[in-house]
Amino acid sequence: MDLLQRFTHGEIDAFETLVRQFQGDIYAWTVRIVRDPGVAEDLTVETLWRVYRARHQFRPDGNFGAWARRIATNLAIDHLRHNRPEQSFPAEPAGVPQPDPLVQRETHQRIQQAFRRLPAKLQVAATLALVEELPYNEIADALGTSVGAVKLRVFRAVRLLRKCLSQAGIRPE
Amino acid sequence: MKEHEDNYMTEQNDRHMRDTLKQSFPPVKTELRRDLWLDVLRKLDARQVGVPWYDWALVGLSAVMFLAFPQLVLLVAYHL
Repeated sequence: MDLLQRFTHGEIDAFETLVRQFQGDIYAWTVRIVRDPGVAEDLTVETLWRVYRARHQFRPDGNFGAWARRIATNLAIDHLRHNRPEQSFPAEPAGVPQPDPLVQRETHQRIQQAFRRLPAKLQVAATLALVEELPYNEIADALGTSVGAVKLRVFRAVRLLRKCLSQAGIRPE
Repeated sequence: MKEHEDNYMTEQNDRHMRDTLKQSFPPVKTELRRDLWLDVLRKLDARQVGVPWYDWALVGLSAVMFLAFPQLVLLVAYHL
């Protein structure tokens, strides 16, 4: 009986081997989305726990890594959904030049804040596609959707972000 | 007109937004700092110790029955 079959039968040794093999990949994927190492570790543990709990749903001839990554993505989306910044930021006059590094840093923080207020699914698609520059098919696979749907989410994220920044009077340099 | 401008995105605009986001979100370290197996094992053990929902439902149902029909306590005590 191979490793994945033993895992689906609930053998803890097989699961341990899979955890050691895939924990780094799951963590790397999660931290790219949530961008916080501590949170990413907690979510990786939760992902692996859910993976074990859902072992009966996994087909031994399937791709374990892709399946685990999809579970991790859903957990990361839930985390972002429940941890959106509540406060909106005060508007500042548009068109103000920003040569000062301190002002620039503040602008970046405000852009981050505006980005974190986007709907979680748009945020994840935009983070992976624009910030991490990962291939669209890889993102689509992890989100369990089509490449077209990912492109649409990225488009909507950019449009919403631009609108939000414009309303707050933020002009990225 | 303004809405039309908002909706119309050129590839250049996309690139500009990508650059802006990349500047605002510094790269994260993707290497895992420690082995998480013990944490996973601890979580598995903790969840397995928990009482399943149907046991709680049985306890609740028994409590309701004993409140509604107190004489059942004697009957159950006799059979125990």
